[in-house]
Amino acid sequence: METSRRMQRTYLGVFVALAVLTVFEIAVTYLPVPRIPVLVPLALIKAGLVALFYMHLKYDRRVFGLIFGAGLLMGIGLILSLIALFAPTLVDVK
Amino acid sequence: MSEALAPHQSEVTALGVDNRKLGIWALLGSEAVFFSSLIVTYLVMRGRSVTGPTPREALNVPLTAVNTFVLICSSLTMVTALAAIQRGDTRGLRRWLIATALLGVAFLSGQATEFTLLASQGLSLSRNLFGATFFTLTGFHGAHVLAGVIWIGFVLARAFRGGVTQENHMAVELVGLYWHFVDLVWIIIFTVVYLI
Repeated sequence: METSRRMQRTYLGVFVALAVLTVFEIAVTYLPVPRIPVLVPLALIKAGLVALFYMHLKYDRRVFGLIFGAGLLMGIGLILSLIALFAPTLVDVK
Repeated sequence: MSEALAPHQSEVTALGVDNRKLGIWALLGSEAVFFSSLIVTYLVMRGRSVTGPTPREALNVPLTAVNTFVLICSSLTMVTALAAIQRGDTRGLRRWLIATALLGVAFLSGQATEFTLLASQGLSLSRNLFGATFFTLTGFHGAHVLAGVIWIGFVLARAFRGGVTQENHMAVELVGLYWHFVDLVWIIIFTVVYLI
């Protein structure tokens, strides 16, 4: 029961962090700061919180993280490869 | 721990984990590649549209911010549902699963509203590159949310029939993992499409 209450507090804490970070991200768009260096890390932190705590990767068997991590690595590799491929022609928008 | 049987596992497996859970994680890994391909296509095509509307003209950040908050809330209710059945609270499980499904429906309603507003501005799949990549990316995500809501419905039906217990609640874990992944993808999409 104590573990359950502790976990519920963790879930609530993660929720508050996600909400606060989202508000902060939106606020950043109204400020004269470069967006990508600020927003991308924030998004990755939020995604990490969901994966580690809500999806229980932090508490579960490592094999699940390895399986998911393999897919994530492939996805990230795909993104970086295509951005590099199109880099000379990428347009700065908005 | 090196026991061959994980909690709620009915058979011995080579890795000592439930095959269903391993399968879901493999699915989520493949979905990560899938959504990465859609996201990077959106990114490299950004700004290349010959005609409008452009993202700046068309996108409604406040509406989507509310929708994002709805989905974040649904992740909390989903994990709370799992926590409930882990301590044997079947009523709590049903209550929080219903809340998750309703929030999922609310998110889909928000998406439908946004799509309608965008269509009224002349944006469509065939209008320009922005329309094509935007609707493909967010449309596929919306389809995943819809599938998740339907899946939650099946688990809920099973819960009402007494088929989900403290000893046997893998169904809730599996749908929960899928649901959190859908939220995780939206976190990335919201940042990449609406904020950057």
